[in-house]
This record gives sequence, C-alpha cells and structure tokens, in this order.
Amino acid sequence: MKITKIYEGAYQWIMYGRDPNKPEKIIDTNQYAVRTKKRCLLIDPGGVELFAPMLSAVLHDAPVEEITDLFASHQDPDIISSLGLWDQALPNAKLHASGLWEGFLRHFGCENIEYIPIADNGGVISLDNVEIQIVPAHYLHASANFHLYDPEAKIFMSGDVGAALEPAGVPVFVEDFDSHIEKMRFFHQRWMPSEQAKRVWIDKVRDLEIDILAPQHGRMFQGDDVKRFLDWFEGLQIGMAIKN
Amino acid sequence: MNTMKVNNAKSHFVAVASIAAELSAVMEVAKEISLAAANAKAIAFRAGEKAKGFQPITDFINELAKETIELVNDINQHAFRLYQLTVNEHRMSGAYYKFEQVAQNSTKMHYASSLTKPLNRAKINMLECRKEFNQSLSRLLEQLAEVMHPARAARVIAANSRIEASQAGEYLQGLQAVAESVDHAAQVIHEKVQKCRSALSVINLDS
Repeated sequence: MKITKIYEGAYQWIMYGRDPNKPEKIIDTNQYAVRTKKRCLLIDPGGVELFAPMLSAVLHDAPVEEITDLFASHQDPDIISSLGLWDQALPNAKLHASGLWEGFLRHFGCENIEYIPIADNGGVISLDNVEIQIVPAHYLHASANFHLYDPEAKIFMSGDVGAALEPAGVPVFVEDFDSHIEKMRFFHQRWMPSEQAKRVWIDKVRDLEIDILAPQHGRMFQGDDVKRFLDWFEGLQIGMAIKN
Repeated sequence: MNTMKVNNAKSHFVAVASIAAELSAVMEVAKEISLAAANAKAIAFRAGEKAKGFQPITDFINELAKETIELVNDINQHAFRLYQLTVNEHRMSGAYYKFEQVAQNSTKMHYASSLTKPLNRAKINMLECRKEFNQSLSRLLEQLAEVMHPARAARVIAANSRIEASQAGEYLQGLQAVAESVDHAAQVIHEKVQKCRSALSVINLDS
C-alpha cells in the first residue's frame, strides 16, 4: 500500500492507495486519514479485502488505540464493507455516516463501534483542535452521500466525484488534465444521476478554498486542476443510462 | 483465512440453516398427529363399546403430538440462537485471522506493537465464541435426541392401535387408518430428526 502525505502542518492528511496485492477484479480505491495529536480519522476505509493492508499501512502513522473515528461517504462495499473488522479492532471508535444508511451499514457488522448518524444537512467532525466539515453531496452518487472539507488544510475529499478508473499503479495526482478527462467521463455520466444535485454541489464547492480535491478512486487534483475539474463537471451531462 | 477454514465456515452455515427446514417438516407432521388424534377420538366415540380400548389411546396420541410440538418449538429457538452464534463465530475468527495477517505484515511499522492488545482480545473473543457455540451445539443435539422419544412412543402406540382397531367391527377401517397415520408420522419425524443430527455432526470447531 502506497502512503502519501498530502498535508503536513500541525496535523497531517495521508492518502493510502495503489495496493499492489489488491485482487484483480476489485475496484482500486483511495483511503485517507486525518492524523491529529491524539486522534486519527479514517475516511472511506475501504472494502473487506483491503482491511489487512490498510490497517498495516495506518500503523505507520497511528497506533490502534488512537484510530478514534471512521467516516463513510456512503454505503458502497468498496467504501466500508471492512466495518465488521474495524468493529473488532477499534471497539471504542465512532463511525460517522448518514443516518439514512445506518440500518444498511450495520449489515457489515457494527456491534462495538458507536454509529454517529449524520443529518442530511451535514455537520462537523472534531479531532483534537481540528474541525472537518461534513458537506452534503446527496445523489452524487448515492441517495445519501457526504464529502469532507478541511478549511485549514484546504483539502476537499470528494468521494466518487472526480473519480477515474485507471490501471493499477498510476501516479496519485493528475498531471495532464486534458488527457485525464476521458478517464472520468463514463464514470460520471453513468454513476451520477442528478443534474440538479450536481448544480447545487458545484455552487457550494466553488465557494470553498481548495488546494487538493481528493476523490475515492483515481488521481487527486491540485492547484488549477481543481477549478478545471469543476468547470468540466459543470458542463458534463450526467444521468445518461436512460434510453427511450 | 485459508480455503479449508472458509469451506468449514460455509458448511457450518449450511448445516445450521438446514435444520430449520427439517424442523419445519417435523412440526407439520406433529400437527398431522394431532389431527389424527381428534379424528380417532370422534371414531372411538361413535364406536362406543366396540372401541372402548381405543379411547385412552387417542388421549396418548394427542399428548404425544403436543409434546412433539413443544419440543420442536424449543429446538427451533435454539437452532436460531445457534445460527446467530455461527455468524458471530465466523466474524470473530475472520477478524482474528485478519489481525494475525496484519501483525505479520506490520513488523516494521512504527506503531506495530499497538496491535498486540486487539490481537489478544480478538483471540479471546474467538475462543469464547467457539466455546459458547460448542455448548449450544451439544445442547441442541441433546434436544434432538429428546424429540426421538415421543417418535418412538408413537410407533408403539400405533402398534397398540392396530390391535384395538381389530376389535372395533365396522369401525376397523377408520381406526386402522388412524394407526397407519400415526405410524407414518412417527417414521417421518424419526427420519427428519436423524437428518438434523447428521447435518450437525459435520461441525467441528476447535476451541
């Protein structure tokens, strides 16, 4: 598992991904962590197949007892089917996820971890002195969906928005935006169902100061590529699977 | 987790789940016996003196059916609990084997030693869960053995019923049919319960 520090200040943002031992037919995912002085938040910690390499990689940055929080942007198995194993490893941790998905996510096993339901209008995750904003992103793509924004690190974790499906081992940042477009087009057109939801999200995200836009699949966007992505996404027609 | 462990887990799930299907068939048959008892009582009443010996037998048949239904209800609840324990055991073992894997792959990580506590806790949880599972399995096997007793008694009652029926004149056919029905039901219960026992006998969890 590749470990990349994407922000280093009074605390860190870390990206885990590009696992070389990932089974071939399983979609590649990016996991993120926010590591503060005494706490660690795992963001979309991944599928059950990824649990062992993921925990092993996190032990590079935090001891088990300081992994205090998990966040699931939505309910998909590549996001959080590892929950039953985290539940055994971190019995005192909290899971922040949509209240709407609670009855569904508990199927993965959640006997010990405390489920903190997120209301539809979002909220905040506090870690020591760091406040991470929970931004609603409903219908992008799941019916209850959230992204995270850290105004201090200027990182926006955008879930499936900005995702691209690429071969294993590609760089973690977009290097040439124009050539990256075709790797994102089908994914967004097919998985994102609502033009209205997209417009609301774009308006909201354009107001934020973002240095890094970090999706759950593919490469991250930094600097001017963040605005390029928002412009491209705004102009893209989505919800394309309906045929007369 | 290796393939053998995965296959074992699968066979446990199938074995425990298959009991529910067999028990539901036992319940149906027990209800049939109850119906046969009511039928026998009506015939014996009509036959009067000619079926005097048959009347107490109908009460026995009814008691037997009630006893079987109660036992099967208990066993069903126990089988459901065993299924929950199977799920728990599967989760606990899965977690323990994954943690072991993490421990092996993290020896060079800065915080590798912090895994010791969760690893030990997972092992204890897994062993406790297996112990509870094994205890529950033994109890269920005992209950299945218990339900064989009324089934055996039913066969004896069926044999007595045939003798009594032979003295019931024109009611012979009706009472013989009752005896046959009880005998058949007892055989089906015996067969289904045996199936449950053999399904469970494949389970072997090391504790």
